[in-house]
Amino acid sequence: MTQSPKQKSTAPSNPLFALGKERLELIGKHADALMQGYLEGRLKESSFSRQGLQKLLDSRVLFYPEEQSLSLRPIVNELIASLTQDERKRQINTDVGEHLDQIDTRVQSLQAARHKGDYAASEHHMQLLTERVNDMTGQFGDAIESLWHRLNTEFGFVSSLDDKMLEIELAQRQLRRILDGFGIINFDDLIQLAGSDGGLRKLLVSQLQARISEHSGSLLEVQKRLVLLMARFRQQQDRALLINRMSAFLRQHPNFQMSDYPNRSQVPAVINHAHGISAQAFIAIDRPQDSYALAELARAVPREPQQHSLSEKQTEGFVMAVQNLVATEQKQLAKDVEDFFIQVIDSPHALSGVDYLAEKELSWEPEMWLFQIVAEYQGLPQQNKQSFMLDKDSAQQSRFNHLHLIQDVTVGMRFFGDFQAAS
Amino acid sequence: MIEHGPLLERLLEGEFICAITDEHSFHKLQNDEMVDDFNHFLRPLNRRVAKNDDGSVYFLAYCDLTQNARQHISHQFANTVQSLLPMLEWMQLVQEALGRDGALSAGDTIKLQDFESKVVDNQSLIQRMSHLANDKVFKSTSDKPDMQIKQIFKRIKELGYLYQPHKDRLFYRVTGKIEQLIELVRFIKDEENLPIDDKTPEQEAMF
Repeated sequence: MTQSPKQKSTAPSNPLFALGKERLELIGKHADALMQGYLEGRLKESSFSRQGLQKLLDSRVLFYPEEQSLSLRPIVNELIASLTQDERKRQINTDVGEHLDQIDTRVQSLQAARHKGDYAASEHHMQLLTERVNDMTGQFGDAIESLWHRLNTEFGFVSSLDDKMLEIELAQRQLRRILDGFGIINFDDLIQLAGSDGGLRKLLVSQLQARISEHSGSLLEVQKRLVLLMARFRQQQDRALLINRMSAFLRQHPNFQMSDYPNRSQVPAVINHAHGISAQAFIAIDRPQDSYALAELARAVPREPQQHSLSEKQTEGFVMAVQNLVATEQKQLAKDVEDFFIQVIDSPHALSGVDYLAEKELSWEPEMWLFQIVAEYQGLPQQNKQSFMLDKDSAQQSRFNHLHLIQDVTVGMRFFGDFQAAS
Repeated sequence: MIEHGPLLERLLEGEFICAITDEHSFHKLQNDEMVDDFNHFLRPLNRRVAKNDDGSVYFLAYCDLTQNARQHISHQFANTVQSLLPMLEWMQLVQEALGRDGALSAGDTIKLQDFESKVVDNQSLIQRMSHLANDKVFKSTSDKPDMQIKQIFKRIKELGYLYQPHKDRLFYRVTGKIEQLIELVRFIKDEENLPIDDKTPEQEAMF
């Protein structure tokens, strides 16, 4: 604020200042018409007053290039392009503008030919014109198709997420350029150009319009997809960044202490997770209707699961395996003897060892079998031993020594000093 | 309610239910009326059905934050914080090894064999992986890369971040619980005002 009076005082003293200001104001005054000219590539004299036009020509804003229509000076074009920061935009606009220009001249030649009644020439011009229009819409079509293709592969041709996002931005700029191109096509002009000629009208107006609106719809869809993809990529990027930065932070600050969230008055929802409770249940026999099912279960319980040493066995060498084989046989024998004793308990009368062996079709040698029964009996704890009685059926082998050979053993429960029942 | 017994039991045992681990149950929990019924049942146990921000995973939370509840939460939080860095490092490792675009998220599949072959091909990945395997969260005692990888994945499966659809096939899917972990990371970052939002060139390069 303090500088403005100062500037005011110096301004008039500098002639360059005044001239520059006047020129800029001149541009500002004709901004609409000049911008129109920038977009279309040429200007109409009719949009300026005679005086104004002269002023613009004098101040080197506009000029007549050799035998051509009124145009912006290249430097002004560049000024606008750099101010709007879109070099590419200018590029595509002139592309479309060029197409339109050529359509314009082609139509004029066509009409001139018709005027002269030169049928062949007019036919030729019509053909070229059709080609030209198709070229233009075809260019739009190609551009849109390439966008679709890239979208459908989700920009799979670049590997990193950053590159994908750059690709999307590029695609968005391309899309905007196509839309700008659409904007340049002025159907009012084309209608005028076609005049009352039905064929031209069809080609330049109705067909073109149909194609353009079709393209617009397609572009809208592309735009939607681009926005969606961008949102998704951004989310992914955000997540990866979060992970990277948090882990970097935690690595750099190994002793970082977090606040005591669990004991805040407001516990954050993100850590409110209840600890697990397992609902255990046990066998209950207080309901008579369950007894059958429980009995079934009890019967299905395997007697003696002996599988636990399986994994150990696999890791041991061959020698160990042989030892194990012997040990397993030994165990099996002990188990069979145990079964025998259980049978004795269940049985109403005393049992003979040899009979049991035959009855169960066990593969043990009788001698080994009897020895094991005796050993098992002797090995019983004193208290349990008293419950059993063991009777050896033996015979003296020779009169000269006291060698007795046991033929059989009979084992039974001890009842009042005798077997449970007469054997 | 009878037919929802198994689901309730799993929730009570502390399981996280997401579309990856159990799609059917997950859809059940998306029904608000059913969740109301569940909550009614769970009320005496001081529990309610909760979900994460984007609704990708369901679990049980406490209704009233009693002293006891807070104790449990403290304990769990401490465990999660302890496994935080190893988990983040693991996620980075998987992303880099498999050359993924973005960070791991729920539903991603990881073939153990692919991961292993990529890691074994790269000395720096092997080193990072073996450093990770020795972390007390993963507790690997082996010095062979394949065993270390197996142990890491096994532990992460136990922690509930991975799901193994077939018991005997080494192929995993990332569960919805990982979203919960990311939410926690975001929460901690915001809450502690961690200076990790500024883009530093070094971190950019890592990315």
